[in-house]
Amino acid sequence: MIGAYAAGATASLLAPRSARTARALGHSGLCVGALAGVALAIRCTAGGASGTTLRVELPSLFPFAHLSLVLDGLGAFFLLVVSIVAVAAAVYGPAYLRAHGTGSPAVEVLGINLFVGSMALVLCAGDALTFLLAWEGMTLASYTLVVSEGGEADAHAGLVYIVMAHAGTALLMVVFLSLASHAGSFDFAAIRAAATALSGPERSVLFFLALAGLGAKAGVVPLHVWLPLAHPAAPSHVSALMSGVMLKVALYGVLRLGLDLLAPAAGPLPPSWGWTVLVLGSTSAVIGVLYALQQHDLKRLLAFHSVENVGIILMGIGMAMLLARRGGAADALAALSLAAALLHTLNHAAFKGLLFLGAGSVLSATHLRNMEQLGGLGRRMPWTAWLFLTGAVAISALPPLNGFVSEWMTFQALVLGGGQLRGGAGLAAVVAASALALTGGLAAACFVKAFGVTFLGRPRSARAAEAVEVAPSMRAAMILLAAVCVVVGVVPGYVMSLLDAPVVRLLGGAGPSALVTVRGPLVLSALGAAGAGTALSMTAAAALFAALALLVWGICAWPRAAARRLAPTWTCGMTPQSRFDYTATAFAKPLRFIFAALYRPRREVEKETGPTPYVLRRLRWEGDVVDLAETELYQRLQAGVMRTARAVRSRSTGRIHGYIAYVLITLLLTLLAFGRG
Amino acid sequence: MGRATPWALALGQMALLVLLGPLVTGVIQKLKARLQCRRGAGILQPYRDLTKLLRKGTVQADTAGSFFRAVPVLVLASTCAAAALVPVLFAPPAAGSASPLPLGDAILLLGWLALGRFLTAVGALDAGGAFGGMGASREMTVATLVEPVLMLVVFSVSVVAGTTDLGAIAGHLSLRRGSFGAPDILALFAMLVLLLAETGRIPVDNPDTHLELTMLHEGMLLEHSGPGLFCLVLAHHTKQIVVMALVQALFLPWIPASTAPFALALGLGAFAARTLVLAIFLALVESSYAKLRFFRLPQFLGIGFLSAFLAVALRLL
Repeated sequence: MIGAYAAGATASLLAPRSARTARALGHSGLCVGALAGVALAIRCTAGGASGTTLRVELPSLFPFAHLSLVLDGLGAFFLLVVSIVAVAAAVYGPAYLRAHGTGSPAVEVLGINLFVGSMALVLCAGDALTFLLAWEGMTLASYTLVVSEGGEADAHAGLVYIVMAHAGTALLMVVFLSLASHAGSFDFAAIRAAATALSGPERSVLFFLALAGLGAKAGVVPLHVWLPLAHPAAPSHVSALMSGVMLKVALYGVLRLGLDLLAPAAGPLPPSWGWTVLVLGSTSAVIGVLYALQQHDLKRLLAFHSVENVGIILMGIGMAMLLARRGGAADALAALSLAAALLHTLNHAAFKGLLFLGAGSVLSATHLRNMEQLGGLGRRMPWTAWLFLTGAVAISALPPLNGFVSEWMTFQALVLGGGQLRGGAGLAAVVAASALALTGGLAAACFVKAFGVTFLGRPRSARAAEAVEVAPSMRAAMILLAAVCVVVGVVPGYVMSLLDAPVVRLLGGAGPSALVTVRGPLVLSALGAAGAGTALSMTAAAALFAALALLVWGICAWPRAAARRLAPTWTCGMTPQSRFDYTATAFAKPLRFIFAALYRPRREVEKETGPTPYVLRRLRWEGDVVDLAETELYQRLQAGVMRTARAVRSRSTGRIHGYIAYVLITLLLTLLAFGRG
Repeated sequence: MGRATPWALALGQMALLVLLGPLVTGVIQKLKARLQCRRGAGILQPYRDLTKLLRKGTVQADTAGSFFRAVPVLVLASTCAAAALVPVLFAPPAAGSASPLPLGDAILLLGWLALGRFLTAVGALDAGGAFGGMGASREMTVATLVEPVLMLVVFSVSVVAGTTDLGAIAGHLSLRRGSFGAPDILALFAMLVLLLAETGRIPVDNPDTHLELTMLHEGMLLEHSGPGLFCLVLAHHTKQIVVMALVQALFLPWIPASTAPFALALGLGAFAARTLVLAIFLALVESSYAKLRFFRLPQFLGIGFLSAFLAVALRLL
């Protein structure tokens, strides 16, 4: 698998003359690598509840550590997620870059192969050093792809991205190096054994450091500011990979460290971990979707939705951490919660990949990303439109697609778990469930806007009016991901066996296929206390829905005397034109008003009236919203850094006496502080 | 119990709700007319309107595409699928064991209703007029505020019952009838606030108007006609009775647990009586209050959120 990625990367370097060949060769390398990844992952997760663990020793490159690759159930599941989206991206890529690519083909193809390859390596890493090296490779490769299309804005996005990513990596290095110094080896097995000897506070400090480092990569609020800048800047199939998959690699890190390497040997995890993750998750989910609502750039909107979905996954992980190893019904609910988080990982990869590819199709057909200039694409690009609608229904957590299934499981875990925990923790869990419902509602509103303004109504620009449907290979990639959405939505029971290996690996006890699909693969059940529980058959529900739709369609299509007529929409007597269509800004206005405290909306209106105030000659409207994290946190941070820098500068006079005095003062202070013992 | 019986019961109850939906609207309209000292149309008027729509042809906006035609069908189907999930005449005594292929729970019910709303809004944007967009925007805004509160109300009951299955909740509550405590009262109050919002009635929405300043739901239906409009109107009637049945299943569950014909008839009578009470409530509120300004709605729904939150807090703390 790794070989194929490497081959894809080198092939692109060997054939630089023809852009087309380079892209085709590079992406086929990617495709072969990803298919190998799927095969490997399925082999690893299919080994029943325990899963199969593969181990490969790498040649020693460093004198102080040996490198190894270990793929266990947890890594294999994430590898599966990465590989599925990578296959779609590989199929999609060549045609997309031909239509819309502006960068150098060699860089693009090299970058994407290295990017996916190093993500796979992170998931397979058997020791801390390999993990960190591959992690860094992933950051650098994706940085290359972010800036590959050129342009001032992309360069800025890349800069913010790489600074945040490296800040995260630095924290991770601190965590891993201190763990390795305890263990005397970089190997995960040795670290796991040594970590049991850590004291409670040490363990917690390391976990929170790691959470901050990984959170920067996963885009957890308030560390998300790079994400809406960097993800839209990359080519769309790379955005799909970054948003759908790279964030998941960071979540893999949270699971690996929180529930595996740093977890205490026995007994429940410290409650503060679960609380923190649950609160971070709920905040990210709500804030992410609220900011997504106010975006008019299709890809930026989708990037903010990634913040939201990472939040939803973290809610599941946090609840699992709170409930884990408490014994009795709580254990089963912890497994349900973790299974929900993992399933949402897969689901988000599928529908976010689909939506980014859909946005890429719009981009390659019109070269526009601003929704306010699009519209009416549904009739010109029916395939893209219906597939985008599928993704929109899935991400809004509406039945009968996959987003609903994983959110249903999260709801059950939060509510039944809240009933188990009771007290403040239980109340927090139920309120988190209500926040999840708010997130779902806001996401639905956001995607009515995104889909409606982009694909429906009249075209708002000449380019949108002349768009044509995209190439078959691009459609095929979208169909692949849409099929994942439908299959996981309608027969989720069959996917549960894939979740067995990771859940059992992390929590022990029974796997989700024994708990959730206890009544056969067609029924999902969530067990509450004392025999009560909820069961749901998505298959039956979807069959009922399909049957009803057919019945209603039959009634409506019954031949009748009056035929279907076409007529222009009534616009109060004026000639209908695209300016009558509701815009994205207008659509989101009520919510902008209601959540004004968060958005701090700014607007400027300039009116030029005729002889009476009722005759309007010209109107100029300008408005935007701010990201509170950016203005309140980062700009203040930046101002602080600048102030300190100025203060230092004003004291750096260039005279040698001054510097000698500073050295002496520092020495004195150091001796006072550390010289007592 | 055989494999077919739970399905047959669910489908029977669904058909009953779909058939009775327009009647409830007719009753509410008649009551409103009487309260306003008018004679009003007969209570069967909604059925006449529906059959008229079904016979008519369709005029479609020339900008609209395949979505516009598909939306009404899918909306009615999803609302009917929701109707199959509320217990009306019969609540299984044991939780979750009634059916080998359970059709769903309260979360799926709200999911189907949300799907219907999502698709209606999409259809409204396809026609390409400002009214449709305005209606869609407002309806989705209200929905985002209603949905978390509705979930919280459901959860306030299900943390006690240990399930979100409506049949099991109704069965569980029927067993311990008479213990109607403070949390139930608070949650019921929140649910009544939400009932006004979900059925699109004053003070949230005004179902009688087509004035652009006031309408939410009607704005989205403006460009539909003929059988398409039939589907959307029937879906709206059905949604209203489904939400009413949801209130009853969560808070007033005197629903028989047996499938004997006599028990079913008793259940039907009880359902009719409770629905009539809720219909009178809606008619009274509609006749005695004015519609709230749109941007006052968050405060109105905030009352609902507060009491639902208190209900959950009382249950758990």
